Amino acid sequence: MLLTMKRTITRRRFLGAAAPLVLAGAPLAGLAAGVAGATGTEPDPHAGHTPSSYPGHATMIGAGVPSPAGPHEHDALLYPPPALPHEPGRLRTYDIVASDRELEIIDGVTFAAWTYNGTVPGPVIRATEDDLLRVSFHNAGSHPHTIHFHGIHPANMDGVFEIVDPGGSFTYEFPAKPYGMHLYHCHAAPLKKHIHKGLYGAFIIDPPAPRPPALELVMVMHGYDTDGDGANNFYAVNGPAFLYAKHPIRVKRGELVRIFLANLTEFDLINSFHLHGEMFRYYPTGTGTAYEYTDTVMLCQGQRGIIEVEFTHPGRFMFHAHQTEFTELGWMGYFEVEA
Amino acid sequence: MSARLWRLWALVPLLVLVGVVSAFVAGGKSIVSLVGTSPPPADTFQVRRVEFRPGEIRLKLTNPQREALRLSIVTVDDAVVPFDTDGPRTLRRLGSTTVVVPYHWVEDDPIAFGLTAASGVETVHAVAAAVETPAPTGRGFLGYALIGFLVGIVPVALGLAWLPSLRHISGRWLAAFMALTAGLLTFLAFDALNEALTRQAALPPGIGGFGLVVLGVTVSYLGLTWLGDRLSRRSERAAGAVVPGPVLALLVAVGIGLHNLSEGLAIGSSFALGELTLGTFLIVGFMVHNITEGLGIAAPAAEGGGRVGVRRLALLAFIAGFPAMAGTWIGGYLTNDIVGVLFFSIAVGAAAQVVVEVTRYVRRRAPGGLASGHVVGGFLAGITVMWATGLLAG
Repeated sequence: MLLTMKRTITRRRFLGAAAPLVLAGAPLAGLAAGVAGATGTEPDPHAGHTPSSYPGHATMIGAGVPSPAGPHEHDALLYPPPALPHEPGRLRTYDIVASDRELEIIDGVTFAAWTYNGTVPGPVIRATEDDLLRVSFHNAGSHPHTIHFHGIHPANMDGVFEIVDPGGSFTYEFPAKPYGMHLYHCHAAPLKKHIHKGLYGAFIIDPPAPRPPALELVMVMHGYDTDGDGANNFYAVNGPAFLYAKHPIRVKRGELVRIFLANLTEFDLINSFHLHGEMFRYYPTGTGTAYEYTDTVMLCQGQRGIIEVEFTHPGRFMFHAHQTEFTELGWMGYFEVEA
Repeated sequence: MSARLWRLWALVPLLVLVGVVSAFVAGGKSIVSLVGTSPPPADTFQVRRVEFRPGEIRLKLTNPQREALRLSIVTVDDAVVPFDTDGPRTLRRLGSTTVVVPYHWVEDDPIAFGLTAASGVETVHAVAAAVETPAPTGRGFLGYALIGFLVGIVPVALGLAWLPSLRHISGRWLAAFMALTAGLLTFLAFDALNEALTRQAALPPGIGGFGLVVLGVTVSYLGLTWLGDRLSRRSERAAGAVVPGPVLALLVAVGIGLHNLSEGLAIGSSFALGELTLGTFLIVGFMVHNITEGLGIAAPAAEGGGRVGVRRLALLAFIAGFPAMAGTWIGGYLTNDIVGVLFFSIAVGAAAQVVVEVTRYVRRRAPGGLASGHVVGGFLAGITVMWATGLLAG
C-alpha cells in the first residue's frame, strides 16, 4: 500500500516521516481466509471451511486487501508494446538513459539502484525480426555503463568493449535477430555489481509469422541485495517485492496468456517460475516450436523463455518462485482469473 | 578581588566552554568536510531480548547509533512477516521498541530474525533454540524460589554449621580459615567483575556500560564501608580499630548475599531466555560451590569468641542466601540487561570491600600476620576451592 503512494521516497524524507505504518493483527487473519476461498462463480467445495488464524502468504503483503491490477507505473514493464508485422529494414528506435535512483523496493526499504530509464528492471525493448534496431544510450549515472544485448549482432555493438563514461552516449544499431525472448544488461566491470544494482531488462524479438493473439505479459525475475553483503535480501518480478500479490494480474478464463519470462537474479544460482492450478507450455528462449508441458520451470541467470497458458478455472491463482525462500521474500503474485 | 568573587570565577571556564562548543557546532560540518566525509551509519539494530509465547514472538530492539533508525521489514527464517510495534517504528538514539510478530514457531528449533532498516541494512539475530518464555505463574514462582533456596540458603546454612568446629581450632588455623574467606571473596569479586564487563559489552554503546560498572563497583564499595562503620560503632568499636568478628561476619554475609543476588539473576534470566539447561547437575554444582560461602561467614563469626545464637546464624544465612531466590525471580520474570550489569558491579564492590575488611582483621589478629603460611595457604585454598567447585557449576 505504501508502494503505490510513494515509490520514490528518499531515505532522508522517509526517516523523517512521522506517521508510523502500523499493521493491525486482526484484519490479517480475515484477509488470509479471504484469499483461501474461491472468488469465482464455480461452486465452492470449501464452503464450510473455517477461516484459520494462521498467517498465510497474504499477510506478507501487509494489511491492504490485494487490488486487482489497475493502472500503475509498473504496467509498462508488465505489458509489452504490441508486436508489429514483419517489415524487413524498418527502423525501431529506443532511448535509454542510465541513472542512479533510490527506489522503494518493499514497504519502507530503499535500494540505491542503477537504472535504465528510472526503473528496475529497465524498459521492455521489442522489435520484429529483421527490423533495424537503434538504441540511443546516454549515461546519466555516476559510473561507466554499457548495454549488452543477447542475440546476433556485430562485435562493436556488443556493449563489452565500448564503455560509456558518465555523461557519455552511444548508439547501438543492428538488425534484430533471431526471434525469441532475449534480454539486455550492462556489461561494465565489475559485472556482478552492475547487474545486481539493476541494469537489465527484457528484449523481445517477434517472429516473421506473428504469434497467435494473446494477453502478453513480461516477467523479469530479479533480486535486491539491499545491504551489499553479496546475498539478496528480497526478490521480485518487475520491480517492487510482492507487487502482483498486492495487485493481482487480471486475466480471462480460456484466454491465451503469453508470458515472456527472464531470469536476471544475481548471486543466486537459479530462479524459477511456478504456476498454481494450471499447466503451461514452456518454449525455451522462445526460438522454436518445441515446448515442455509443465507447471514449473527453472532458469539460471540470463536464461529465458516463453510461457503460454489458458486458465481452465476462474479464481485467484498464485504464481511464484519454487525456491520457497524467494517466494516469502517477495517473488510471488496472483492471477485473478475472471469467468 | 574578594574570596567570594574568586569563587565565582569558577563559572568563567564553563561559560567559555559553552561559547566554544556553540561556535564549533555552528561551523562543525565544514571542519569535518576539510578532512573527508564520515561513513554512513551502520543502521543495525541491537536485539536485547527475544520472547517466545504461544503463537507470538516478541523482540525488544534498541537503536544504538546517533542517527535515527527506522524498522521497515521483519523476516523470520528468511520470510517476510507482518509485525506490530509498541510505538513509532523510527527509533531515535537509544530508543527502544518491542516488535510483536504473530508466528507459529517450532519448539526447540533454531530460528533467525532479520530486521531491515529503511536503508536496506539487515540485522540478523539468530536464536539457537526456540523455547517458550515462562509467564509469571504460581508454580513458576515457586520453582524459582526452590532453585534460589537450593543454590543460596541451603549451602550457606550448611557451611555455617561448621561454626562449632571452627570454635575449637587453634588461632593459627582460624586465621587460615579467615584467609580462606578472603580468598573466596576475592574469587567472587573477579568472577562478578568478569560477568559485569562481559555483560556491559553487550549493551548498546550509547548507554556507557563501562561507566555503569565503575559506578556500581564504587557505590557498593563505599556503601559497604559505611555499613561496616555504622555497625561497628553500634558495637562500641574504638575509632580506627578493626571491625569486630560478629560485625565482620555480617559484612561477609552482605557481600556474599549481593553476589548471590546477581548469581540468581544470571540463573533465572538464562533459563527464562532458553540459554541454560537447568539440570540437576548444575544445581548440585552451585550447591557445592556455595557451601564454601557459608564457611566464609562462619570463620569470622567464630573469631570473636562470644556466643552466636541460632537466630543470629539463621539471619546470617538468610542475608547471604535469600538474595539468590530474589535474583532468580528478578532474572526469570523481569530481567533487563542494564539491571544485570548493575547487579554484578554491585557484587564486585561489595566483595572487594569485604576482602579489605577481612584482610585488615587478619593482619591485626592473626598469629604471624598476613605473611604466615597459614594465611597465605588459606587464601590460596579459598581461591582454588572456588575455582574447582566452580567447574561443577560451569
